[in-house]
Amino acid sequence: MSFGWAYYGLFTMASEHLEFVESSALAVELCGIPLATPLIPAAGTLAREALEDVRGVYGAMLPKTVTPAPRSGNPPPRVAEAASGMVNSIGLQNPGLERFLEDLEHYDIGAPLFVSVAADTVGEFAAMCERLVGEERVAAVELNLSCPNVEHGGLQFCAGPSAVREVVSVCRGALAGKPMFVKLTSERVVANAVAAEEAGAHALTLINTVPALVVDARARGVFLRGGLSGPAIKPVALRAVYEVSKVVEVPLIGVGGVAGGTDVAEFMLAGATAVQVGSGSFVREPQVVLEEFAAYLREQGVFARDLTGALAGY
Amino acid sequence: MKLHEVKVLGRERFGDHALLRYRWSGVAHEPGQFVMVRALSSPTLDPFLSRPLFVHDYDGEVVSLLFEVRGRGTARLAREDAGLLVSTPLGRGFVFDGKEPVALVGGGVWVSPLKFLSRALNTSGIAHDIYLEVPATASTAYADWLSKSYPHAVLIPTDGSLNSPKTVLSHLGDFSRYAAICASGPSEMLARVKEVSTVPAQLALRERMACANGSCYGCAVPLWREGARIYTRACIEGPVFGAEEVVDVQKSGD
Repeated sequence: MSFGWAYYGLFTMASEHLEFVESSALAVELCGIPLATPLIPAAGTLAREALEDVRGVYGAMLPKTVTPAPRSGNPPPRVAEAASGMVNSIGLQNPGLERFLEDLEHYDIGAPLFVSVAADTVGEFAAMCERLVGEERVAAVELNLSCPNVEHGGLQFCAGPSAVREVVSVCRGALAGKPMFVKLTSERVVANAVAAEEAGAHALTLINTVPALVVDARARGVFLRGGLSGPAIKPVALRAVYEVSKVVEVPLIGVGGVAGGTDVAEFMLAGATAVQVGSGSFVREPQVVLEEFAAYLREQGVFARDLTGALAGY
Repeated sequence: MKLHEVKVLGRERFGDHALLRYRWSGVAHEPGQFVMVRALSSPTLDPFLSRPLFVHDYDGEVVSLLFEVRGRGTARLAREDAGLLVSTPLGRGFVFDGKEPVALVGGGVWVSPLKFLSRALNTSGIAHDIYLEVPATASTAYADWLSKSYPHAVLIPTDGSLNSPKTVLSHLGDFSRYAAICASGPSEMLARVKEVSTVPAQLALRERMACANGSCYGCAVPLWREGARIYTRACIEGPVFGAEEVVDVQKSGD
C-alpha cells in the first residue's frame, strides 16, 4: 500500500485544503467531528501566544481550562522537574468564562475548537455548559473533573462514580446535543469511566496529571504539591486507556506523556481515538511528533483511524 | 518549542560554574532576554525540561551562557561531549530612555545578563558603573573569573546576609546618584534593591519555567497592575520587570 501523496498533501496544504486532508491517512473522527489529525493539545499546555507553529498539526484546538469567574492561580513555585517529567500546580489561572469567550477568535487554528471547563459546584458546571451550548464556534466541551467540589468537602468531582454521575448527567442536560468529553484522573478510572458513560458522556479523556509531591531535602520542606506529567506517567495513562476501552463504548482521548510519534500510536492501539499532547510539547515540537506518527503509519501501512484498539492478540 | 542545534565553540569551568559559547546567526539577542537550553543527547527526555538561562554576552555572532552546575540538567549541559539545543531569544529585556548614568548591580552567580547589558550601553554611549557582590560561598576560581570578565566592575565581597555591612547598598546607599538601576542577583538582593532604590530600578527575575512560550503559566510573578495584584508570566512579560510593579521577589527562582 502506498499513500505517500497523502502525506505530501497534508504537510504542504493542510489548512487550505481541509477536505483533502480529511481523506488522508492521518484523519480521524471524534464524536462525529472530523479531525485532520488525531493530535489535540492537552488543556493548559498551549496558549494563544504559541499558536503560530501548530496550524495543520493539531486536529482540534483545546485552550486552557476556563472557570466561571477569573482565577489568579497559585503562588509560586508552580513547576518543578521530576524524573522524565514535571510536577505542576498552576491553580487554573484563567480570565473567567465571559472574558474567555470575548477572545475566542484568538484560538482559531483552522480546526474545531473544544473548550475545557471546571467549576466549584455542579450548578456552576451546568451554568457554564448552558452558556456554551449556543456558542457555535465551540464544537465540544471537555469537563475537567479533577477540581475540588466545594459542596462535598473539597473532594474532587472525579473522586468516585456517584460524584461523576451527578455532574456529568447535569452537564449532559445543559449541553443538549453538543459533544461532551469527560476528563478523568487515573484514580478509580474504570468505575468513573463507566459512570461517566452511563451519565451521558460522548467521549472520555484519560488521564489528568498524577498526584505528586516534590520535597526539598535541604530546606526540609515541601517544594511543590501538584500533578505529575510527562513520559513518567505514560504507562499509567496507557493502562487507563486500555482498561477503560474494554468496558465502555464511547471514544477515548488518550493523554499522558506523549512526546513522540510512537507514543501517539501506542495510545491509539491501546484504545484511543485521538491523543492529546501536553507537557511533551514543551520539549518537543508537535510538528515533529506528527511527522513521526505519519512515518509510523507509512511504515506500518495503516491509516490512523484503523489503529484504535488494534492490538494484536494480547 | 522549537530548539536549534548549535555548535559549541568553547566550554570553560571555574569551580561550580560553567560558561558555554556558541555561534548564533538567528534573530539578534537583546540584553535581559533568555534562551531555553538542553543537551542534544537526551533521547529519554530525562532530564525532562529545558533550562532557561540569561544570555551572558552576545557580540552579534557568538552567544555565551553562564550557569552554576547544580543538578542533572546543568551537569549535562556542562559535559564536554554534550551537543547543545537552544531556542531563539525569548522574553523582554532591559529598557532605556537614554538617561544616565546607570548602575548595573549583580550578585552571586546571577550576574549573567549584565555583561551583555554593559556591552549594549557602551555601544549606545550610555555611562554606567558595574557593582558585583561576590558571596563568601563563591569559589576562588569563580571570583577570579569575575574580576577578569568584568575588569571595570567594583567587586564587593559579602557573606550574602541581610545585615552584612559589605553589600552593594553600603556602597551606593539609595542609588540617588544614578538615573536608573539594573539589577540581577539572588532574590534577597533584588528585594533590597526594590526596597531602597529611590530611582527607577529594573530587576532581572529568575523563575522556574517549563514551556517558556506562555502556555503553562508556571513562571508566575506577582505584579501590581492597575491597583490589583495579579500573576503574570515571566517568559512573556519578563523576565525583566520594573521594581515598582513587582509585588515581592520570589525565592523560588534562586
